[in-house]
Amino acid sequence: MIPILAWRNVWRSPTRSLVVILAIALGIWAAMFMSGFATGMAQSYIDNSISSLISHIQIHHPEFKEEEDVQYQLQDLQAIQEVLDGVEGAYYSFRTVSNGMIASSKSSRGIKIRGIEPGSEQSVNGIGDKMIEGDYFGKDRKNQLLISQRMAEKLGAKIRSRLVLTFQDEDREITAAAFRVVGIFDSKNNPFDDSHIFVQQADLIRLLSTQEPDPQHSFIHEVAILLPGAEQMEVLQKKLQEVAPEMLVENYREIAPDVQLYESMIGSMSLIYLVIIMLALVFGIINTMLMAVLERIKELGMLMAIGMNKFKVFSMIVLETILLSLIGAPLGMLLGGLTVELIGKYGLNLSAFSSSLQMYGLSDVVYFSVAPHVYGQVAISVALTAIVASIYPALKAIRLKPVEAIRKI
Amino acid sequence: MEVIKTEGLTKIYNPKTIPVHALNGVDLSIKSGEFTAIVGPSGSGKTTLLNVIGGLDRPNSGKVVIDHTDISNLSDNQLIDFRKEKIGFVFQAYNLIPVLTAKENVAFVMLLQKKDKAEREARAMELLEAVGIAEKCDKRPAELSGGQQQRVAVARALASKPAFVLADEPTANLDSKSTANLLDIMLRLNQEEGITFIFSTHDQRVIDRARRVVTLVDGKIDSDVQR
Repeated sequence: MIPILAWRNVWRSPTRSLVVILAIALGIWAAMFMSGFATGMAQSYIDNSISSLISHIQIHHPEFKEEEDVQYQLQDLQAIQEVLDGVEGAYYSFRTVSNGMIASSKSSRGIKIRGIEPGSEQSVNGIGDKMIEGDYFGKDRKNQLLISQRMAEKLGAKIRSRLVLTFQDEDREITAAAFRVVGIFDSKNNPFDDSHIFVQQADLIRLLSTQEPDPQHSFIHEVAILLPGAEQMEVLQKKLQEVAPEMLVENYREIAPDVQLYESMIGSMSLIYLVIIMLALVFGIINTMLMAVLERIKELGMLMAIGMNKFKVFSMIVLETILLSLIGAPLGMLLGGLTVELIGKYGLNLSAFSSSLQMYGLSDVVYFSVAPHVYGQVAISVALTAIVASIYPALKAIRLKPVEAIRKI
Repeated sequence: MEVIKTEGLTKIYNPKTIPVHALNGVDLSIKSGEFTAIVGPSGSGKTTLLNVIGGLDRPNSGKVVIDHTDISNLSDNQLIDFRKEKIGFVFQAYNLIPVLTAKENVAFVMLLQKKDKAEREARAMELLEAVGIAEKCDKRPAELSGGQQQRVAVARALASKPAFVLADEPTANLDSKSTANLLDIMLRLNQEEGITFIFSTHDQRVIDRARRVVTLVDGKIDSDVQR
């Protein structure tokens, strides 16, 4: 009968109980919304970083990471290529990379030049899909150049503008060549757009190379590998390291610690939001339950007078609080789950903040996502919150002296 | 058989600030089957005496022996269990559990005694019939009149088969008709089933029907009349 008594006590003051239930439901909804939003943002950052910038695995000459010198070229390319060709669903791009200057008649800027083979680069980072003007390289023409829209604005360049690239050749002599802008892209990632330009690999190698062709001089500085998922990444990384033991084979977590940080934050962010919201809820529930106890002092005194022991009185108050949470929690989880599901499907358009988001490499549509374990976290934290919040009112109840309590009017 | 015996009971409220001597050495003995009224002016110590006998309050000195057990030395939890088994309470303001029906209110004490459901329900109905309110067994207190609520309270007090029933001014909130009705029930239970009633009262109509009247003045027994 204690559960029945507790249940009926909950509904003695329906408005008050409904307010607490709604507060719990809204708290959970807010926690799930925040968690979905934060996870979605982090996931968007990670996905963008992998698909547009760093891929899953990159291979470099060990010295290249320290000093991006044209001399530090990759070895064992054939063995690497054989391994990669054997991985289903893997895309890769062999890049020639050089740091240099780009100059227009208006201004000049320091940039990283990526010499690419258009087809393979497109399959790795989809840069061809991010063209907003011009073409993703035309056919049969030398010295074609892709620049970002931001760079075009800064240089005062447009399609067909001729820009001069200056960089060191393999003898570390300064060399320069004029390139014509054939396409303008917008990767939605300002730091990338401000620092990268694309040229065709053959053009860049021709300008870098000063000596006779030599198998030791591949002019490939970077291999970027995109996989269908991160699951097979570490196995492939190991395999590549075996065939190219002198080279530096890194996965995206090693290349970009910020991405790893975001990944590890995903797990803890929902917990942080939950803890903050539950802390606020604890006080709301304590307040309500304290009111429920204080207005029933006489009745609680009577219950103890007729033989209800302190443990049972304590349990009854705790149970009343748990019941309130048991109604509020599923409601909040349902609302939160639906919200996350809907925004996960259709996305939350944040294009109003597009420029700020792009500064950090974030896309302007966020797709919410919540890991399944978050539902478990919510259930456990609500139960803990209810129990913690009920302790003080329940202690207050059992500290009542029946004779004094009965006398209260 | 003696069910209650007090020896030299004293109770002082606020002993360190402004002491109020509510009981001043009360020696009282009540036998099984008695129908006793504790009377006296306001502040004479009637309620305090009932609270101390009922184990709801502790005396400053003296002894309370209920059914051969000295309750002065019991812990709070032991006292709760003792009250559950041995004492039935009827309060001035009825003090029923508002969210339970009349039948559930009566059965509640038996639930605390861990009686099984069938026994609880059968005895609850039997007691509600005894107090003449069986037809209202599914009503909650708010749907009952004051007199009806007090009859449910009497049924509840009897549910645990206590050694005696303590009633603190049970008719104070009742009209004449309800008072007479309640007294009839209590007297009948006393005569037919031998239930011991001890109640405090100001009400002359109640005093007139008591078999023993103990008068308290300034925390002492001033007179003790058997009729």
